[in-house]
Amino acid sequence: MEYRLLVRAGVKKQKGVLMGIFLLLFLVSLSFGSILTVWRNSGNYVREEISRAGYGTITAWVSGLDDASLLIGQMEEMDAVGRTEVQQLIFSDYTILGEESDSEGQLILWEREAERYRFFTDDLSGYQAAPEQIEPETVYVSPSLVSLFGVGIGDTVSFAIARNGGTVTLTVAGFYEDPFMGSSMIGMKGFLISEEDYEDMTVRIQDVGINALARNGSMIHIFQSDESMETVAELNTALNEQTDLSRYTEFVHSAETIAGFMLILQNAFAAMLAAFVLVLLVIVLIVLSYSVSSTVETERKNTGILKSVGFSEHALQRVQLMQYGTAVLPALLLGFLFAAPAARFLMRMTLTTTGILIPTNQPWGLSVLAFLLLLAFLSASVWQKTKQIGKISPMEAIREGEASEAAQGGHWPAIKGGNLAFSIAVRQLFTGKKKYVSACMVALLLTFFASLIGRMDSWLGPDGKGMMDAFNPADHDIGVQMFGISTEEEALAVINQYTEITDTYDLAMPGVSVNGIDYTANVITDPERFHILEGRACTGDDEIVLTEFVATDLGVSIGDMVTVTGGLGQAESVVSGIYSCANDMGDNVGMSREGYLKIGADSPQIWCHHYFLADTSQKEAVTEALTAAFGGDVHVHENTWSGLNGMIAAMRLLVIFMYGIVALFILIVTVMTGTRLLGFEQRDIGIYKSLGFSNRLLRLSFAIRFALTAVIGSVTGSVLAAVLTDPLVSAVMKLAGISNFASSPSIVQILIPGLVVTLLFFLFAYAAAGKIKKTDLTVLISE
Amino acid sequence: MKEILLSGRKIKKIFRQGEKEVRVLDDVSLDIFKGEFTVIMGASGAGKSTLLYAFSGMDRISGGSVTYKEKEISACSENELANLRAKEFGFVFQQTHLVSNLTLFENVAVAGYVAKKEKPKAVARKAEKLLAQMQVNKAKDRLPAEVSGGEAQRAAIARAMIAEPGIIFADEPTGALNKSNSVEVLNLLSELNRAGQTILMVTHDVQAAIRGSRILYLEDGKLLDEISLDAWEPGKVRQDLPLAAPYACYGKKKREEKVSAWLSALRW
Repeated sequence: MEYRLLVRAGVKKQKGVLMGIFLLLFLVSLSFGSILTVWRNSGNYVREEISRAGYGTITAWVSGLDDASLLIGQMEEMDAVGRTEVQQLIFSDYTILGEESDSEGQLILWEREAERYRFFTDDLSGYQAAPEQIEPETVYVSPSLVSLFGVGIGDTVSFAIARNGGTVTLTVAGFYEDPFMGSSMIGMKGFLISEEDYEDMTVRIQDVGINALARNGSMIHIFQSDESMETVAELNTALNEQTDLSRYTEFVHSAETIAGFMLILQNAFAAMLAAFVLVLLVIVLIVLSYSVSSTVETERKNTGILKSVGFSEHALQRVQLMQYGTAVLPALLLGFLFAAPAARFLMRMTLTTTGILIPTNQPWGLSVLAFLLLLAFLSASVWQKTKQIGKISPMEAIREGEASEAAQGGHWPAIKGGNLAFSIAVRQLFTGKKKYVSACMVALLLTFFASLIGRMDSWLGPDGKGMMDAFNPADHDIGVQMFGISTEEEALAVINQYTEITDTYDLAMPGVSVNGIDYTANVITDPERFHILEGRACTGDDEIVLTEFVATDLGVSIGDMVTVTGGLGQAESVVSGIYSCANDMGDNVGMSREGYLKIGADSPQIWCHHYFLADTSQKEAVTEALTAAFGGDVHVHENTWSGLNGMIAAMRLLVIFMYGIVALFILIVTVMTGTRLLGFEQRDIGIYKSLGFSNRLLRLSFAIRFALTAVIGSVTGSVLAAVLTDPLVSAVMKLAGISNFASSPSIVQILIPGLVVTLLFFLFAYAAAGKIKKTDLTVLISE
Repeated sequence: MKEILLSGRKIKKIFRQGEKEVRVLDDVSLDIFKGEFTVIMGASGAGKSTLLYAFSGMDRISGGSVTYKEKEISACSENELANLRAKEFGFVFQQTHLVSNLTLFENVAVAGYVAKKEKPKAVARKAEKLLAQMQVNKAKDRLPAEVSGGEAQRAAIARAMIAEPGIIFADEPTGALNKSNSVEVLNLLSELNRAGQTILMVTHDVQAAIRGSRILYLEDGKLLDEISLDAWEPGKVRQDLPLAAPYACYGKKKREEKVSAWLSALRW
């Protein structure tokens, strides 16, 4: 009973502080629970969906195969191969709402009975039954096209089937789920079409002969036999050695690689959010500790009285624990309970980026464990802080009342008459350092995290250049690939009408195998342009450069010999360096033109001419002019990638979310700390007012204190971010195949997080100090 | 003809205690004249301090009006009141109410800075001079917690003086001091008044009250009576005696008797 009375009285007295702690912890547990839910469900779901969509142990995208049965027969004769499944498709460039895609689309013949795909409702809020059939002249697309192109149901997609107007236009009838090509992070996109349209296009491709722009192909899903003990890489090598697969391969991916890549992106974002939640949890701990300490201080007299009537130290600690428990317990409980709906909301929000709707079943076991761990941790922190109660001597506390606020002597900057608000703020900071430590730590942590994300955002750049530099083997402004009878000279004539070309080189990307494993080769006319991380460029025709990931996969390093196989033969090459290219998750090797021509066939069509323009603002105009002049005979691309938009959008979303939470946390922390300080300083505020200080001047001085505190925290946070961002983010980026993360933000970008945090502290403190208006001067009256 | 500096008409102050109304000041009308040392006396709870703070604009009144130099301060905005307090009013409280983390010098100077009547350098020089005058210049760089109550109260008087206010409001300025410190503080106030400073002081101490030239008696929120005294004149200055001495002798006994008799008549 006595506990209930004391706890109730304490809660009533501290309701503002407890509400603040409740809000902070609710946000932390809600975010933490949501991340747990997404993380727990995404791993299983991506694998399940990869299996449902029929991706084999290895899936090979092939073309130029007149009769697939021969190749299939070769594969199925292998002991390591259990079975194969084939999906018919057509490779074709496509245009949506006037925007040409950088990567080829895959028009996939939909077979209802295979039940490979799930279909979304029109509003993308859930699933619906698969249609009885896909109507001719309609197409089902991935929801990621919504974020990439802004496509909606009823819009049209045009596929370039043949030169001279051989375009097929299909109307979007709905959206379907593809765990790989459906993601906006992946360039290639699948389009489900009807049998009628598939047949019609196939006939047209055959009829136009060499004028065809589209080509027939297949996805061959190769499933490893149960008895086979080979690794995926060994199976890939065996397929290349024992079948004709390499002659027809466009690209090859294993289910494990696909799942890994999809999950890496999910996990990378989840890891960043988890790190953010961890930062928020530390902030809550700081705020909680400060709050408990100041409660113990302000309650000294009452504690003395309660001790004098027989309450033990532990009993009073329990009262404090229960009092804070009234905020901590419901906050954690509600946070975890609302985690699943919040995750569902998050998944729906990100559906147009991920292309899949991850279920949000609450991982009860994990949630309960996390809840108990957090509860135990926070309770232990409160208990530890309330140990100060033991040091309070009853009579001393009753005599003294609240802990003496008298300042101790020291050396401080003098009070200047010219800037009273600032001078007084500085003095308050110097004489009450401890009270501002929590605000300073909060500013430090929030600035650090905001700077870290800001540095990643600046690396990505407004147009994703950072990411493109990581993905592209070499820089350029635009790339032009000519087909048919049109020549590079004709293209140059068009470009020169708009701007001069300052530099040029050629790049081809044929498939090769290195030591038996398939990779994409970046064949370049000027190897010095590769982004070399270690060693040197492959300038000799017997040299090759590898990405870090390929070098690790193959177990080779600079100076080692590898066997490179192309369409015309094989050659021994020495690894001259490690370069950066995150395309295909880093599965790339780099060669000189001379080196490649020793093993592979040359053709004008394989070369993409990369140009640097004198006036880069003309890129769009040049692209439009080339497309207008050569139609389907030209493919123009900028230094960009369709998946990049999704990544930039996700990063922007993360930055907005993070700044929103930062603002909310600063608001709560400032109001909580500010209210406490104003409570302590009632008498001083009264004195200042009696001297003629206006409310505005006092509020300004109060806000300046927080701004100065935030500046100290922000500067430290910015410095820490400058030192730690690159190593920390590099560790995460390497998982996604990006090995050259190095942020180099501008001065403005470096300053912005600290400025925002400082400004928010200042503004919220000024708002919180509105209570100064209510401070009655009668606090000074003795009668 | 005496010049009215501060004037209150039908001042009411009502506090609510649940359903009950408590009239702390009940239609009090009073003029304070320039250059006078006015003392308000009364029993504990009579409303003395409430009247002082009502006159100084420190507390809002429930009815009536207060005018300072023809400006109705009871109708002033918060900013106007702040400006008045900075430039025209000086306060000396029972508890010294110095800002705990400012030195004595800074406590004095800050009041001059905010008044903005003079440039900061001039304010600093004046603060030094006032502290020397109050004989606390040796402790000027110490914090309030590091000096005696008397030193702190003398610094508080210096603070009240720094902006050369039109009036000083003193609320039981000796209430928390020992006898010798009390005499020192009262002497300082007398000295200031002799130099022309208007003072309105609340006290229940006869020794403090006799320093005034006019004493008012308040009971249950109403002014009951008042008495006038001759101006307090200092005795012969003896250099060997402490600060209290110059004012310690002449006419003191006569004043004490007069005031005591008056108070007795009022059943004090």
